[in-house]
Amino acid sequence: MGCGVSKSNQFHKSSGKAIRSAILIQRWYRQYVARTEMRRRYTWHIFQSIEYSGEQAQIKLYNFLGYLMDNFTPASNERNLISHIFRENEVCRDAEWERYFCYKNIEVPEIYSGPHLTFPLTVEQAVGLVEAFRNKKQLHSRYVLQLLLETWKQLRMLPNINRISTCHSKEITICGDLHGQLDDLLLIFYKNDMPSLEKPYVFNGDFVDRGKDSIEILLILFSFLLVYPSEVHLNRGNHEDHIINLRYGFTKEVLTKYKMHGKRILKLLQKIFSWLPLATVIDQKVLVLHGGISDTTDLGVLARVDRHNYVSALRPPKKRHQSSASLSVDSDIDEDIWSPNKMFLRRKSLTFLKTVPRDSFQNRSLQDFSDRIQVNPADELCQRRPSVFNLGNAAPEKEMAASVSSESLSVIDEWKQILDLLWSDPMNQDGCVPNEVRGGGCYWGPDVTEDFLNRHNLQLLIRSHECKQEGYEFCHNRKVLTLFSASNYYDVGSNRGAYVKLGPDLVPYLFQYQASSMIRELTVRQSVGRTERSALKVLREQMFAHKTDLICAFKTFDSDNTGLVCLSDWASAVESVMHLDLPWRMLRYQLVPCKTNGGMIDYHEWFDELAIKGPNADHIDQSLLETLYRHRSTFETIFRIVDADNSGFITIEDFRQTWMLLSVYLKMEITDDTISDLVVTIDRNQDGSIDIDEFMEAFRLTDKKSRLERGRSMFMGTATDLTKLEGDPNI
Amino acid sequence: MAPKKDVKAPAKDVKAPAKKAEPAPAPAPEPAPLPVVPAIDLSAVKVEFSPDQIDDYREAFGLFDRVGDNKVAYNQVADIMRALGQNPTNKEVNRLLGMPSADDMTAKRVEFEGFLPMLQTIINSPNKAGYDDYVEGLRVFDKEGNGTVMGAELRIVLSTLGEKMSADEIDALMAGQEDENGCVNYETFVKHIMSV
Repeated sequence: MGCGVSKSNQFHKSSGKAIRSAILIQRWYRQYVARTEMRRRYTWHIFQSIEYSGEQAQIKLYNFLGYLMDNFTPASNERNLISHIFRENEVCRDAEWERYFCYKNIEVPEIYSGPHLTFPLTVEQAVGLVEAFRNKKQLHSRYVLQLLLETWKQLRMLPNINRISTCHSKEITICGDLHGQLDDLLLIFYKNDMPSLEKPYVFNGDFVDRGKDSIEILLILFSFLLVYPSEVHLNRGNHEDHIINLRYGFTKEVLTKYKMHGKRILKLLQKIFSWLPLATVIDQKVLVLHGGISDTTDLGVLARVDRHNYVSALRPPKKRHQSSASLSVDSDIDEDIWSPNKMFLRRKSLTFLKTVPRDSFQNRSLQDFSDRIQVNPADELCQRRPSVFNLGNAAPEKEMAASVSSESLSVIDEWKQILDLLWSDPMNQDGCVPNEVRGGGCYWGPDVTEDFLNRHNLQLLIRSHECKQEGYEFCHNRKVLTLFSASNYYDVGSNRGAYVKLGPDLVPYLFQYQASSMIRELTVRQSVGRTERSALKVLREQMFAHKTDLICAFKTFDSDNTGLVCLSDWASAVESVMHLDLPWRMLRYQLVPCKTNGGMIDYHEWFDELAIKGPNADHIDQSLLETLYRHRSTFETIFRIVDADNSGFITIEDFRQTWMLLSVYLKMEITDDTISDLVVTIDRNQDGSIDIDEFMEAFRLTDKKSRLERGRSMFMGTATDLTKLEGDPNI
Repeated sequence: MAPKKDVKAPAKDVKAPAKKAEPAPAPAPEPAPLPVVPAIDLSAVKVEFSPDQIDDYREAFGLFDRVGDNKVAYNQVADIMRALGQNPTNKEVNRLLGMPSADDMTAKRVEFEGFLPMLQTIINSPNKAGYDDYVEGLRVFDKEGNGTVMGAELRIVLSTLGEKMSADEIDALMAGQEDENGCVNYETFVKHIMSV
């Protein structure tokens, strides 16, 4: 078509025009690319902000529970509800552990079609396991327990910091966060071969949570660890932590897949997680760890800690008494000695708690927790940070010798070292500040990197912990490499995954991938559009969950009660409630697609279009529903904590008590009648117990116009959640 | 990325400085390359944005600031302007930046207050294009006058003339636009590209 003889002449004649036209199109195209990039960036911002504030919420919740633990009498019901999660592992002797986790009684039925394992494990079995999981098989709990036992035995022999080398021209492959995404691990093995004598691997933490195949990933990694103990190295991540697992899906996954033995598996995993090494050093020059460093990080200290004492990084280990040599290493919290002078708080004293200053626990990040190990008011630690826990109480006196105070100092140091290692993020400015977005660890700057690397004679720091668009990112003058191996983490098409290979030259070679054949067919525009829609949906949900607060905030700008605010005020109000640091002006049209009245926004109109679907919710107060909806993640976490035997059910009585607990946490009045109403609604079959999943399912946001689909488990159900108690004007 | 906790953006009530000098919008540069290009005096540009607009621009600026120092690299300036709805050529932007070298483009940074007069200049320039301009622009390549252009020819043009596009860029642009004969209906094309 159109192939005239004089084409070239025509062309030449109008070349000026042709050039102008070309430029026109090129300009247009570049504008389109820039706008797409803009959308991609704020979409990313949205997901990341919500993810991190969810982590923060989790930590706050945990702080709250810890606060309760410290301030309720040992015998109180509330304490009993939750004390078990603070109870470090009972039973210390190895033999006792082995008996407790004995798998020998577990029969494997004939009908079982999954892999059978015999120990010691062979490479064929490990490879067979990968194949089996690829084919969606599940490993029988007998073998799971057996495998975990062997893994535990192996891990116990490892030092805190693995030191490995690229001798014999071996290239070491390092992978970042996997987060239960089996497809990505399979893709890595496909591209890079499985671990072997010639193919050493380092896996840099966060194997579990969020994705749906966390246990399978663990089993694969552990198998290869057993088969190639010198070639496979695992670093602990902040998600290798049973407290975090309660919220982010791993606990639920295991209980669902292993209905009979899930609880034991989880218990054993708690132990295993605490025995995972903290870091790996390659050729004495490259340090690999999960989160990062701070200005106080000291590899010498880290090499010496008893890492297994830190079952959860969120809680410092109990103080070891000098006189308790006979006690197990992990002592039970109930053995605290309470000062007779200390005011005992009784159940009724929930009212007492309400008069405690609001920021006694909500505003605290984990750094502030160091105060809780104070042993002596005269101790210098008192001055490090003012402890609000001392308000009105004598500092809990323990029967310590004075010499223990220096020991407690080192306990705090150790704890902080581990916390920083697992939770920190790099920042671009110099310095080192607490990581208040996540609630734990630090933000550390290029000067800290420089200093740290020099001090330890290292040249590169490889870490993970943060999702990156391209699967990896260098910073701090290429001295820090962030590596993330879970592709499509936020949504299909959101990001690639990457792994890195280091040869003897220690030059990082990066490899990227993206799991899912669907990706290839999406154009950039479609991919960005999809992820953007997903992010906006989540954001809308979050905004709806804060309806009351938002309307209050809008009203402060609308003294005449016209129902309208200007864009600037709208953006300020929203940020003051949501605290997400997002470009609200840019997002406005997507969030609130209502017509404006002369540049003003009608802030009621949007909320009217959405509604929370609740179970026969008519007789339940709207604002209660809203609170439920907003904090549903926290509720679910607390319910799972209360459900000590991990059955998936809690009794009505526990439910009632949980509400009392929550009402303190949320500082809201909730009468017994309201709770009874709720109970009646939830306990459909009147059998005196409540199904946690059913309860959570009951509260979903529906759009009157179009039903919202269930998003990824990250954002619904076990969704991240914002507990913005500081900003709650109702208090 | 780490939130910019330590570096706060300047107070919101920064007003655009009112310049007493005569407003002198930069003359629109010719699409064809000129031998010598007169430098633009940015201090002479009167920034006339409303506070609302400035807030909008600041937000966009912030999104592109990857370092957290409230500045963006020279090589990002053009993209920010495009993200804000403008359509400068790379050449126009380079003029505004003072004809920087390739090193300057990556190394040098400009702060928000310095960015505003540049943006103003581009906005003031009469080189706007609408639907009709694009259609006319493409019609140049419509040899048979039947409303279509050859995809292949378009590719050659875009990669060899003007501010050349890379093969990947062209592929992305043309994705799904060519019919089974390799032709592009350009009115549809323009409607499509203007709809994003």
